[in-house]
Amino acid sequence: MAGIELLSDQGFRIDGRKPKELRRIQCRLGVFKQADGSAYIEQGNTKVLAAVYGPHETAGGRGKALHDKVLVNCQYSMATFSTGERKRRPRGDRKSKEMTMHLQQTFNAAIMTSLYPRSQIDIYVEVLQSDGGNYCASVNAATLALIDAGIPMKDYVCACSASFVKDCPIVDINYLEESSGGPELIVATLPKSSQIVFLEMNSRLHEDNLSKVLDVAVKGTKDVYQVLDNAVRDHISEVAAFHKLDQS
Amino acid sequence: MSMATKDIYVPGQRICQLDENIICGQGTYDKNGFVYSSRAGYLHKLQSQDGKILFEVRTNVETTTVPSIDALVTARITNVTPRFCKCAILSVGRTLLRETFRGQIRKEDVRATEKDKVEMYKCFRPGDIVVARVISLGDAQSYVLSTAENELGVVIATSEAGSTMVPISWCKMQCPKSLAEEFRKVAKVQPQFIQYSGT
Repeated sequence: MAGIELLSDQGFRIDGRKPKELRRIQCRLGVFKQADGSAYIEQGNTKVLAAVYGPHETAGGRGKALHDKVLVNCQYSMATFSTGERKRRPRGDRKSKEMTMHLQQTFNAAIMTSLYPRSQIDIYVEVLQSDGGNYCASVNAATLALIDAGIPMKDYVCACSASFVKDCPIVDINYLEESSGGPELIVATLPKSSQIVFLEMNSRLHEDNLSKVLDVAVKGTKDVYQVLDNAVRDHISEVAAFHKLDQS
Repeated sequence: MSMATKDIYVPGQRICQLDENIICGQGTYDKNGFVYSSRAGYLHKLQSQDGKILFEVRTNVETTTVPSIDALVTARITNVTPRFCKCAILSVGRTLLRETFRGQIRKEDVRATEKDKVEMYKCFRPGDIVVARVISLGDAQSYVLSTAENELGVVIATSEAGSTMVPISWCKMQCPKSLAEEFRKVAKVQPQFIQYSGT
């Protein structure tokens, strides 16, 4: 995009961040009572709600049930008011369907699926405000919701995006940086074991720079992990304290 | 004997090295010779009979389970036909399910003796609460249950008059109001003989 300088000469980005700085992450677990697990996350101006139901008996006949593992069912939707221009369909369009599939693949890799054969886990993700990094925020929110639901997972799943501007990799890109036409690398990892469960790249990036960009993105997921981990630990001790009060 | 530690464990966190005295229980898994947590919660170390230590990570909220083979389940009869009866599984072992699972008891699995003389209508009625064991995960439709043990069968049943009946023999129950007798496959409830496996 002509005219917009994504990285100033002083080394600052449009929103005043340094190249390797994440946006502010705020999150809460257990926001819904009805769902088995739920979470809300804000990454800068991107706001996402996630709800998890299950494991329960497979809906819509047993035709879809898998005999040796649980069926992970995802639904990604964007609120009509989430983007600058009002959306017509919150879900079911091509982009949402692709996102749904990606979320499903990601969580199939992280959930210990063999523990609940012939049942189903539903993950509903709703983007309330979109400012870039929707996939990342959705994955992070869904991870928290799954932990809140007590569903066994190998590890957290943390996602982060990165781009490359003026010979410099930038991490956790916002909508402006995303839509500027530069490369966009999205990665989801199991941070404790540093395994990549999802990797996607849009646009073109020179091969020599790929490892640099990938490194900052993976570093970003580890930073995200620290934030999520603190939130989970706070939540667990809070709930435990509440239960003790309840019992006494 | 249960011992809860102060530390919070989260998914992917390493608990300790795996050795032959450690059993990975619920909320944990082993990988590359180490025990890891798969849930967020507190670690409980349980001493089992054979001297081994069972590791479990438990959350504050009760977690859901699914029926497994050999598990003892409590179910409500929903539908009786001459060949089998359908039921809704309400709980697995001691854990109550949030949502029911479908199950069925076939005619030949109702009791252990004289299997071919079983008449389903004389064993179960819709609305009865039965204790049964999961014998197979069955076809795609439902879990296959069995009541072919003395301790298994109908535990709660209401009579036509609408009151809870009392068992008078292994195959009959009586209504305390109308004194009418009805046929059931009655469970002889003896808690000391019941094995809560698979829970």
